[in-house]
Amino acid sequence: MQWFDALVQGILLGGMYAQYALGMALMFGVMRIVNISHGDLVILLSLVGISMASAWGWGPLPVLMALVPLAVLMGWVLQKTVLNKVVGSDPLPSLIATFGLSVALQNLMLQIWSANSRSLPGGGIESQSIEIGGIYIGLLPVIVLVVATALTWGLDIMLKRTRFGRALRAASADVEAAAMTGINPRAVYALATAVAVGILGFAAVFQALRSTVAPADGPAQLIYAFEAVIIGGMGSVWGAFIGSMVLGISQGIGFRIDPGFGVLAGHIVFLIVLATRPQGLFGRA
Amino acid sequence: MTMTAIPYADTEAPDVLVERQSRSGRIAMTLAVLGLIGLAVMPWWASTGTIRSVLELCCYIAVAQMWNLLAGYAGLVSVGQQAFMGAAGYALFVLAQTYGINPFVAIFLSLLVPAVLAVPIYFLLHRLDGPYFSIGTWVVAEVFRLTASNMPIVNSGAGMSLRVMKDFSSFERNVAMSLLCAFMLLATLGGSYWLLRSRFGLALIAMRDNPIAAASQGVNVAKLRFLIYVAAAVGCGLAGSIYFMAQLRITPGSAFDPMWANVAIFIVMIGGIGSIEGVLIGSLIYFIADRWFGEYGATYFVVLGLMTLLVALYARTGIWGLVSKRWDAPWFPIRRKLVHRKP
Amino acid sequence: MTAVLSTHGLIARYGDFQALYGVDTELNAGEAVALIGANGAGKSTFLRSIMGLLPVSRDMVRLDGEPVGGTPTDRMVQKGIAIVPEGRRLFTGMSVEDNLRVAIDQATRVGAKGGWTLGRLHQLFPILKEKARTPVQSLSGGQQQMVSIGRALLCQPRVLLCDEFSLGLAPKVIREIYAALPEIRAAGTAMIVVEQDVGLAQSATDRLYCMLEGRVTLTGRSAEVTREQIGEAYFGAGHAVV
Repeated sequence: MQWFDALVQGILLGGMYAQYALGMALMFGVMRIVNISHGDLVILLSLVGISMASAWGWGPLPVLMALVPLAVLMGWVLQKTVLNKVVGSDPLPSLIATFGLSVALQNLMLQIWSANSRSLPGGGIESQSIEIGGIYIGLLPVIVLVVATALTWGLDIMLKRTRFGRALRAASADVEAAAMTGINPRAVYALATAVAVGILGFAAVFQALRSTVAPADGPAQLIYAFEAVIIGGMGSVWGAFIGSMVLGISQGIGFRIDPGFGVLAGHIVFLIVLATRPQGLFGRA
Repeated sequence: MTMTAIPYADTEAPDVLVERQSRSGRIAMTLAVLGLIGLAVMPWWASTGTIRSVLELCCYIAVAQMWNLLAGYAGLVSVGQQAFMGAAGYALFVLAQTYGINPFVAIFLSLLVPAVLAVPIYFLLHRLDGPYFSIGTWVVAEVFRLTASNMPIVNSGAGMSLRVMKDFSSFERNVAMSLLCAFMLLATLGGSYWLLRSRFGLALIAMRDNPIAAASQGVNVAKLRFLIYVAAAVGCGLAGSIYFMAQLRITPGSAFDPMWANVAIFIVMIGGIGSIEGVLIGSLIYFIADRWFGEYGATYFVVLGLMTLLVALYARTGIWGLVSKRWDAPWFPIRRKLVHRKP
Repeated sequence: MTAVLSTHGLIARYGDFQALYGVDTELNAGEAVALIGANGAGKSTFLRSIMGLLPVSRDMVRLDGEPVGGTPTDRMVQKGIAIVPEGRRLFTGMSVEDNLRVAIDQATRVGAKGGWTLGRLHQLFPILKEKARTPVQSLSGGQQQMVSIGRALLCQPRVLLCDEFSLGLAPKVIREIYAALPEIRAAGTAMIVVEQDVGLAQSATDRLYCMLEGRVTLTGRSAEVTREQIGEAYFGAGHAVV
């Protein structure tokens, strides 16, 4: 029963990680860019949300409704001012640029919010639980999982069926040919990043609800997102989702073995997948 | 159709010299030798505090140059070199403190650890695409940190102290640190310079400019990349051992501190990637900025981060890149010029 | 009468290397013009320069007399110029229909008017209907070429730039594709056809230009130009065609 419980906790944790991983998978799939400040953006959004909540007494839902559009705007601005200048075949500039941005953001947040951990008051939702099949599971993690699944499904549909999704896939297949077909790559990239960071708006609220947030937490979230995407296999939205599940379960089981071992267990599973099946569980060889 | 040979008119080979050194290079070389000597004799002209500061600067230079080799020539952008620094540092502490080996011998023995660790790490990570490779190196550093936090042999999270250093007098320690500084710079900067001037250097520069073209010319790009990775790991290990010997204390958090990656990237990008001159310029700038503005804490790092971002966007070749566009006066010349011999 | 598309002293460079040394051409409405020349003559560079894939001065390329040189590629498409690129450059991983839909999406988005529909394309190249759901990378070379042409046509172009259709295709397939050109012309689209096969180029077009090392060395009506003239222009004066 203990192990089943660890499994369930792991899946719910995976729901959290999926919300980080989706945006990263989208940006890398389309632009071959990894935004090193991806994790810091989540933390920034969380801290902004927490400040809004304490300043205006908002509950989590109003914060969510404010953060997601803010996140979309942030992503769009990020693309226009920074990333559009470094898209290209050379990976170094985008790496260094987003790395510098990450350092700047972390320390800016440190200046503004100090190193203290904070969380978002949820009005009790953090402690509610529901009964499923005889076991009690926290309500919040279930909501996180449901939202993650919905976001993944929505993203997948968007890519497959909508005009924007087709344009994104075309741009990621051959950006020059996409331009020859009338697609403006820069506009498409900006929208992709806006969507990717917009999803982080959800992640920001959930992360602040389920645990505490501190300015230095960004890199850890980046690493989880990255591990999830690699485990699942690049180039696949559902792959990122499954990869997140695997990571979450690994950490959950590791945590059950020994509380200090949780994160390390995730790293080890990641390294094993890297060693044995580097294209990921769902990636093409 | 018959084929007839068209005889070449008899000509002589042109009378040329291959010039590999320049005037600016000779000046720089002289200054470098003087500088190294100055470093080695620090105990006779500098205070212990100054020696510690200089040692820290030399460590920055060494780590930055290793990052420069990796990113500027091998195309491997690592943000996890601190893994090797901490690994060597811990090896030093274990060998010297726990097993009683002479610490100055232990420094060199400790280099085996990053060398051996670099091999499986490289094979694990090298198939990853550019940015994913980078994050992978970060994950490895994190794994090292978490492992060290739980390893009894290195005292887990509590860290270790190098108490055996008390067996040596303050003067002896200063001499050791100064000599090690000089050796470290000779090994990392001098070693890189020697490498770049050798035939490996030609292969490296070709690989930097265009890996596919280099491979088509017979350069074993994969093997070269691997060798550079191991060399950089050892170089960083050396800096780590020396740094922590001077610190006298090591903990998982300090051993595997991502700060080293931040500083190395800043130094190389500001100074100018792919050139040794750039590393020296960048290190000097960082050192001065740290001394003047370090007290401002987080704000100072915001500025560092933003400068790195701006350099990556608008001035990718860094300061030395901008300078060398205008004036062709390298401090470490690696080009071969054909010069007509004067009759 | 102003030419639909014209170039004036077109110069293009790849970094330090100059590929075009002042090329003057013009294309009138309803015309099909061939561009022939040896490899490296600059034919593809010429097409790419028009499409904004290379930086050129504004005045060097004119559409209906308006200077448009250097306009970004996607805006050139909106202005009514489409290209069937060398090597087909289809969107791998997507189906035939999705490849075509991308073009339809963009044309709809900018409100482009024109007669090309998916149905009409299926009449022109029936295989496109048959293989609508197939991933584009599993089609044969000839079928891929048809998708590439269809994708360009669905942008509703007034001018179609065709870069080496016949490259890597079997003769029978090439004939099939060239058989479709008259219908494309009949729809009112002017065409520039870059082609290695000189005979094919002459038979399919009204006029031709021959290029050598970045310059136009011959121009004339396709039906009137002689073999000798082409030979000299293709290889450079003084070289005999054996």
